[in-house]
Amino acid sequence: MTAKKPDPEDKKPEPAAAPAPVPVPAAAAPAPAPAAKAAPPKYVPPTPVLNRGNGRLIEDRFTTWPTQVFADRWSRPGYQWGAGMLAGILLGFAVTSALIGELAGWGDKLYSLLGAQGLPPLAVEAIWVAIKVILVMHVILINGLWSIWWERKISAHIQTRVGPTYAGSPKGWNFHGWAQTAIDGIKLFLKEDVTPAAADKWVHALAPAIVVVPCIIAFAPVLFGDGLAAASLDIGTLYIFAFAGISVIGIVMAGWGSGNKYSLLGGLRGAAQMVSYELPRGFSVVPVLMFAGSLDLQVIANAQAGYWQGIIPRWFIFYPVVGQLAFTIFLIASVAETNRTPFDIPEAESELVSGFHTEYSGMKWSIFFLAEYAYVLLGSFLLATFFLGGGASPINAVPFTLVPSWLWMLGKAMLMMFVFLWIRWTLPRFRVDQLMDYCWKFLLPWSFVNIAFAGLYLAFWLK
Amino acid sequence: MTNDEVFAKISAKFPMVEKAAVQVKDYLTVRLSSKDDLLPFAQWAKDSSFDMLETVTATDLLGPVDMKGYIRQQNFNPFLPDGATPQIESAPTTGYPYRPAMDLLWVFFSVAEKARVFVRLELPREGISAPSLVPLFKSADWQEREAFDLLGIGFEGHPNLTKILTPDFTQGHPLRKDYVHIKDRFDE
Amino acid sequence: MNNVPEPRTPPQAALKSDRLFINLGPQHPSTHGVLRIGLTIDGEVIVKAVPDIGYLHRGTEKLAEVRNYHHCVVLTDRWDYVAAMPNNLVFCLAAEKLMGVKTTPRADALRVIMCEMNRIASHLLFFGTYGIDLGALTPFLYAFREREMILDLFEMSCGARLTYNYIRLGGVMTDVSPEWLKRTTEFVEYFKPRLDEYDTLLTYNPIFMNRTQGVGIVSPQEAVSWALSGPNLRGSGVNHDVRKSDPYSGYENYDFDVPLGKTGSCWDRYFCRVQEMRQSVRIIEQAIAKLPDGPFMASGVAKIPKPAPGEAYAHVEGARGDLGIYLASDGGISPFRLHVHAPSFINLAMLQEKLVGMKVSDVIALLGSIDIVLGEVDR
Repeated sequence: MTAKKPDPEDKKPEPAAAPAPVPVPAAAAPAPAPAAKAAPPKYVPPTPVLNRGNGRLIEDRFTTWPTQVFADRWSRPGYQWGAGMLAGILLGFAVTSALIGELAGWGDKLYSLLGAQGLPPLAVEAIWVAIKVILVMHVILINGLWSIWWERKISAHIQTRVGPTYAGSPKGWNFHGWAQTAIDGIKLFLKEDVTPAAADKWVHALAPAIVVVPCIIAFAPVLFGDGLAAASLDIGTLYIFAFAGISVIGIVMAGWGSGNKYSLLGGLRGAAQMVSYELPRGFSVVPVLMFAGSLDLQVIANAQAGYWQGIIPRWFIFYPVVGQLAFTIFLIASVAETNRTPFDIPEAESELVSGFHTEYSGMKWSIFFLAEYAYVLLGSFLLATFFLGGGASPINAVPFTLVPSWLWMLGKAMLMMFVFLWIRWTLPRFRVDQLMDYCWKFLLPWSFVNIAFAGLYLAFWLK
Repeated sequence: MTNDEVFAKISAKFPMVEKAAVQVKDYLTVRLSSKDDLLPFAQWAKDSSFDMLETVTATDLLGPVDMKGYIRQQNFNPFLPDGATPQIESAPTTGYPYRPAMDLLWVFFSVAEKARVFVRLELPREGISAPSLVPLFKSADWQEREAFDLLGIGFEGHPNLTKILTPDFTQGHPLRKDYVHIKDRFDE
Repeated sequence: MNNVPEPRTPPQAALKSDRLFINLGPQHPSTHGVLRIGLTIDGEVIVKAVPDIGYLHRGTEKLAEVRNYHHCVVLTDRWDYVAAMPNNLVFCLAAEKLMGVKTTPRADALRVIMCEMNRIASHLLFFGTYGIDLGALTPFLYAFREREMILDLFEMSCGARLTYNYIRLGGVMTDVSPEWLKRTTEFVEYFKPRLDEYDTLLTYNPIFMNRTQGVGIVSPQEAVSWALSGPNLRGSGVNHDVRKSDPYSGYENYDFDVPLGKTGSCWDRYFCRVQEMRQSVRIIEQAIAKLPDGPFMASGVAKIPKPAPGEAYAHVEGARGDLGIYLASDGGISPFRLHVHAPSFINLAMLQEKLVGMKVSDVIALLGSIDIVLGEVDR
């Protein structure tokens, strides 16, 4: 798989162009126990076996014989590459967040610069808002690029595959197929946009827009770090839930407008599911709102500052019972809101073929996915804000508390996103009635109980 | 239960049922005298532990198979010259009693006793029909439909005796030895 | 959970509810081939189901009537292409009975090893696709990792990965090499702990159990009446295994158990298959340990066999159930009549009755748990 054997077409081997498989940069590899050994045993492929039936050589496939994979993992190039990939992910975190965080940090200077030009205040405000809108929209687009690639790699490694490896530059800058999503995006742009003859043309075309636009709007008050939000709203939480709830209309429209019975079933299921799960999602946050005493995301994040005994952060997830219960319910309901396995019954590939987006192709189809991943990101940021202390450092010690808040925020959100992916690639799917039972008979009552608990806390402990 | 014990039980209840001249190797094969015996026999089988109807099928005893029933040409090897000896052929063998009749076969199995009895019934080919066993055994449903589709045997009392394997436009019953393929829209 | 809801009647005429007809298949990701089911649904509940088969009908029973016996072995591969070794075996057993050929002990042992490995490969495919049917995409890849090893072993022994044509009249195609035996032993050792991994991944997953337990229950009486066989029958608790009740190829010499289900639900059928893989591993271990020496092909099989007029029936416990061949000869070079007792075909027949009253999602759960192969249904 790796470019081990010399390319026969490469006539004059130059040192630069020669396919030199750099196993792994030494600094990038984390140094667990196996690395401490002097020299890991070299992986020796088994001798090829001549097929007795047709005399053909049975070649070793890229994983060859899994027994050997399990025998000595670290001698395999794949594992070394995996370690490199982890390092790359961390590096990617840092670079992406530096871009977002530092650019946003210049906001005040930029604003005062605009004001100094002698423009009327209304024009200044308009330009300022436009800049913020463009920035927030880029968060959603870049998130699509990043999280699809990440999901593909994570799912691949969960499923004993390797995922995309080739997309990138032919010169060898194809680090784990980093360009896969971009190239997929180009492919989707170039694909034919098919509208079925039986479809209701307008409804069919409008549905993706109605799914994705509320999602973008809902990002306005999302907190990317201390004081980093496009709009600081007093009713931020309510605003996000309200706009995120509009997307379900787009899903019903997609199901209805496609003129396909499977899509119709998918749209109806989607409507039932998303409307139901909004209740436990909303109610599970109520204890958080009670503790913080505000709907403003910034206030909620600030309410979690500080440490108990100087060690345990005062995050809401660490409030005994109530915090964990609220976190779990909110996480489950968020997964359900994003229509991902185990709650993907509106799509249900094996039952409804693809549910509401069966009849979509090209960019319309990818807009549904953009919205899905944006909602995953939204859920991740909300989880980080509500339960994981926003931009606060988990460890009350110097090198950690000096890390900027947007970096902590992004790290927590990415951790939550990984949990989303992890759930998706591990669990099977619910049945429709079980899904509803789970929502109405389990999540919702417990979120009510949780509110009662939170009231007791307020009455006897926190006051 | 050995084959002889099963046959003793059967002949005690149905004296007219006799052992078939040609036995299916290693298994007890009995032959019904007429199709009126079938339903009582099946009812008895169901009541006396032979509660699984494994197979419903039949054999067309008419001469060798007609080569016109095949879509492909007989000489399908492209490297052979024209007029070479056909690669597939059907030739009658001497000494086998070909006759215009069908030999129906039911296989009853006793799950408890692990015993199996093959029941045969020979009926003339023209307008062939036999009683359906669907009211007694659910497994007869699709197997009788298959026998109807491929062999053209009518089953009286079957709730839904329609084609099951061949397409709607296929005419005739392919497993009959005199079946001739009529070209349809899928032939070149 | 009561999965048969009461028939819904609209309370007033003002509340108009229509029934919806949907075509499940022939192109659908979960019908495992070209099966079409016409479903009439009322909301999510099925009121009528009409399975439609025959899209893959190739008429092998007819084709066999103009081929000689050796050629017919090739046809058998194409029935159940997921587990083709038992197909080879059952035709060879029937033809050998007809010709009076006795196979050698080494050939018998090799046949047993191959059939059991193919059973594992087939059950692994079932395990993986059943997970996909119920929305768990990951077990599929794990199952295929192991299935790939088995196919590699098959490729090593006979050169084919899907349609083997390995078991021939009178024995097997070719002997296996010591390297093959070494690798098979390696595989068995590797595979045993993987089965526990599967259990943690899917078998005891609460969502999976919710989806399959109590769904598609087939009582023992129903199972016998539908003449189900294989894990579908044993999932209902009926103890019937051809390997025990009518042993062939020396199965009476091996020590193995027949796993039985309790309630006859989808989960029981699934669990029977998972347990059967363990038993197959046991059989393979025993067969390799006491693999006798000697020729792998019996003498006395003619190049163009012409068995004396007569009838024979042979059946084996294939991966999907009791696979039987009824073979009649008129003394010519071709079978006079070849009838396949195809377990998939017979197992599938219960679908039309069992589906009524289920939910749309349960169609997939039930259909997947029957584990059909359309090549065998349509033959």
